[in-house]
Amino acid sequence: MSTVVDAAVGGATRSRGRGRRLALTVVAAAVGLAFILPAVWILVGSLRPTEDIFASLSPLSWSLFVPEQITFANYVNLFTGAGFGRALLNSVVVCVSTVVFGVVMCALAAYALSVLRFRGRGIVFVVVVVSFMVPFETIAIPLAGLFTDWQLDNTFLGLVLPGLGNGLAIFNLRQHFLGIPPSLREAAVVDGASEFRILTQIYLPLSGSALVNSALLIFLGQWTAYLWPLLITTDLDMFVAPISLARTFSEHAFDFGQNFAGAVLLSLVPAILMFVLQRFFTRSIAETGSK
Amino acid sequence: MTLVAPSPDPEVRRSGRAAQRRSWRDRHHDALWAALLLLPTVVAIAATRILPALEAVRSSLFHSLPGGLRPAEFVGLDNYVTLLSTEAFRDTLVRTVVFNLVINPLQIGIALLVAVLFVQRLHLRGLWRTLVFVPCTIPIVGSSIAWGAALGPDGPVNALLAAVGLAPQPFLTSADQALACIILIASWIGIGYWMMFLIAGLQEIPAEYYEAAKLDRAGPIRTFFSITLPLLRRPLLFVLVADTVANFVLFVPVQMLTGGGPESSTSLLMFDAYRTTFGYGSRNLGAAEVVILTVIMLVIVALQFRLLREDKGAR
Repeated sequence: MSTVVDAAVGGATRSRGRGRRLALTVVAAAVGLAFILPAVWILVGSLRPTEDIFASLSPLSWSLFVPEQITFANYVNLFTGAGFGRALLNSVVVCVSTVVFGVVMCALAAYALSVLRFRGRGIVFVVVVVSFMVPFETIAIPLAGLFTDWQLDNTFLGLVLPGLGNGLAIFNLRQHFLGIPPSLREAAVVDGASEFRILTQIYLPLSGSALVNSALLIFLGQWTAYLWPLLITTDLDMFVAPISLARTFSEHAFDFGQNFAGAVLLSLVPAILMFVLQRFFTRSIAETGSK
Repeated sequence: MTLVAPSPDPEVRRSGRAAQRRSWRDRHHDALWAALLLLPTVVAIAATRILPALEAVRSSLFHSLPGGLRPAEFVGLDNYVTLLSTEAFRDTLVRTVVFNLVINPLQIGIALLVAVLFVQRLHLRGLWRTLVFVPCTIPIVGSSIAWGAALGPDGPVNALLAAVGLAPQPFLTSADQALACIILIASWIGIGYWMMFLIAGLQEIPAEYYEAAKLDRAGPIRTFFSITLPLLRRPLLFVLVADTVANFVLFVPVQMLTGGGPESSTSLLMFDAYRTTFGYGSRNLGAAEVVILTVIMLVIVALQFRLLREDKGAR
C-alpha cells in the first residue's frame, strides 16, 4: 500500500521522506542516549577502581564512559564483604519459591474466575482487581505489624507470602483463559473429566506465554522488592540483595565501585530474563494496556 | 446419526426438567470447584491485603505507648485530629498531592512524546526503544544509588554543568532542589515503562485513520490532536492512573537518598507513614496515615473504573 503511494508521489517526496526519517532517527538516538548514559556510567563505574569513577570527571571527556583499565575487584569485594553473597542467595530462594507457588495459585484462581459460574464470582473478581490496583506498599506497614505478631518476621515464609496472591497475574491469566474456546472444556466435561484435569491437560498447555508472563511478573515483584523486606527482616542472615546493597550504600557511601557492582548484578538478572522472555513480555503489556 | 422425528410433548418436558436438574447440579459442582480453586488465593489476599487495611483502621482508632506498658486505649478519631492539626503533616499531605500533580502529567507527557516518536519510521527503532526501557529494568535500589552518586557535589551532573560554565548545584542536599531530584530519578525509571504501554496503544490505532488524515493534508500537530490523542484515551487513562497510584507510594529514593529532608522538603506521605511508625514509634498515628493513604488510593481507583466505564458507554 505505502509503496504504491510512494511510487505515485515521485522522487521529490521520497527523498523528503528519507530526510525526515533520518532527522527523526537522530532525535530518537538522542533520546535513547539520554536515558541510557546514566546506566552506562554505572556499568563502567562497576568495572573501574572507585577513585577513577570521580577522577574521570574533570575535565569532562570521553573517559567518563570509557574506563582506562578494567577491574573486577569491585565484584570480588562485594562477595567477600558484608554478606552480599548470602543476600543474593536469599533473594533467589524467595523469588523462586514465590514464583513456583504463586503461579500455581494464580492459575487455579484464574481458571475458577474464567470458566466456572458461581455466586460471588463478581465480588471475588473485583477484590482481585482492586488488590493489584492499590499498590502493596500502601498496606505494607500494618501488615508488617501483623506478621511480627504472627512471628513471621525474619522468615522466608514472611518474605514469600505477600508475593503469592498476585492480582495482576490472575487478571492476565484470566484474560488468556477467556480466549480459549469453551467447547474444549464442554467436550471434556461430557467425557467426565474433572475441572482439575481440564485445567492441567487443556488450559495450561495452551497458556505457555501467559504463564511465563505471570511468572515474570511475580519474579520481578519479588526481585526488586525493598520496602517489605526492609520492614520484616532485621536479621543479617535474612537480608535479601536489595536490602544488603542499600546497607552497603549507607555504610560505605564512598565505595561507589562496590555499590555500582551490586546495582549491576541486581539489574542483570531481570535484564537477562526480560531479554530472553521479551516476546511474552511485550505481548502482555499490549493486552494490559488495551483492556 | 439418528433420524430426526418430531418429539412428543411429554418427552420434551421431561428432558427439560432433566436439563434443569442438571444445571442445578452444575451450579453446585461449579461452586464447589470454585471454592476449592480460589481458596489459596482468597486466603492470601484476605491475609496480606484486606486484613492489614482493617488492622490499620482499628489501630488508628487507638492510642498506645511503645512497649505496650499500658493497654491500648480507644480514642476514636483523635489520631486523625492530631495529624491534621500538625502543620508538618498538613505540609506532607499538600506536598504529596502537589508532587503527584507535577510528576504524573510530566512522566506521561514525556512518555507519550517518546512513544509517538518511537512508532515513526526510524532506523534502528527497536534499539532506541530498548535504551529508554533499560532504566526501569534496574531495581530502584540500584537507580537510587546511581543517582545519589551522579547528583553528588563531585558527580557527573555537576561536572556537566561546570563544562558548560554553570555553577555547581547542591541538588539532593538543598531544600529547594531535592524534591525535583526525586522527580528526575522517578521519571528516569518510569518514562520507559509507561512508554511501552503507550506504544502498544498507538500500534492499535488503525493505519487507515492516518492515511485519511494524510489525504486531508492534516499536519502532524493536527493529526496528533484529532486522531492520536482521542483514540489513545483508554491506554492514556490507564497509564495515568497506574502512574499516579505508583507515585503515591514512592519510597525508595526518599528513604535512601534524603530521608525526607532537607528540612522535610522530600517528606512524602508514604515515607512519612514509615517514619512515624518506625522512626518515631507512633504505631497508631502511622496507622492513621496508612488509612489516609489507602483511602486516597481507593478513590483514585474508583475514579478510574468510573471513567473507563463512561468511556466505554460513549463509544
